[in-house]
Amino acid sequence: MTGPANLENAAVAPRVEAARAAPEDNTLNRATSLDRFLAGVERRAFRIAQLALRDREEALDVVQGAMLRLARSYVDRPGEEWPPLFFRILYNGIRDARRRRSVRSRLFGFLPGRFPGDEDEPGDPLERVAGGGPDPARQSMADQAMQRLETALGDLPERQQQTFVLRCLEGMDVAETAAVMGCSEGSVKTHYFRALHALRAKLDEVW
Amino acid sequence: MRRDEPRTETERRARELFDASVEGLDAETRSRLHRARQSALLVMERPRRSRWQAWGTAAALASAALVAVLLWRPPGQGVTPAAGDPAGEPADEALALFADGDDVDLVENDLEFYRWLDEAGLPAAGGAG
Repeated sequence: MTGPANLENAAVAPRVEAARAAPEDNTLNRATSLDRFLAGVERRAFRIAQLALRDREEALDVVQGAMLRLARSYVDRPGEEWPPLFFRILYNGIRDARRRRSVRSRLFGFLPGRFPGDEDEPGDPLERVAGGGPDPARQSMADQAMQRLETALGDLPERQQQTFVLRCLEGMDVAETAAVMGCSEGSVKTHYFRALHALRAKLDEVW
Repeated sequence: MRRDEPRTETERRARELFDASVEGLDAETRSRLHRARQSALLVMERPRRSRWQAWGTAAALASAALVAVLLWRPPGQGVTPAAGDPAGEPADEALALFADGDDVDLVENDLEFYRWLDEAGLPAAGGAG
């Protein structure tokens, strides 16, 4: 009687152990997946926030906020849902930052001093040259072209800018872009068409 | 993440420049992004623990409240049943009978008295006739 019971217990024991270990393993796997996802998206997210806000510190804050929010509230969602969720959170953060900036400028606009978004610091050019990067002349031309793109994007209405960034720069399809922006696919197509038309008019001659 | 390919020259150039600017981020910005990611991964653990702690605290409080409700009796309602409680009366009478030694003797004497009356053939007091 004890023989079969022991055999049964021996067969069940590993499964019980696995079930006990499962939550921790699962958490570890989620942490690894999240780390990989955020590592793959963080720099692009930062540049998107920087394009929208024209301020490095604010952009870093917004990206960090989006990472924390995703980790805290949506980590249990399937991994394929993370990109649209993350970018939606990111754009909500950008919108909040703009609102805060607007309130600040209304309250303290009469005071002298620099406010975020007045101008963006491009960084130390010597540091970039010394960093062993690409040819300085080519880098300088690319920087100028990027500067023109940023200026042209900055002149677009918010929704058009958002659509262009997500569709063209991030390479999202229409459905993903619509999910991030919380609008219909038709609206995405309209905004994108107008954005592209406006950017071509401004940039095609200078590029 | 799969990316849609650009179709026009403007789109291609814009993406090329954007990708280059992402690759060219300075070391300090990269480092800060890395730190932000590590903070997010730490936070991923914390709320779960605190959520379980919150549930544990709530369960402990609910248990304590339940025990308090079960043990609490209104003042003046000790172990004595309320007046008019039919379930309480027989128990009280039996308890009083056995607690009082004289009453037990009285019952035994009465039985002997009635047996004597029966043997003597005398009518019991208060009987017929």
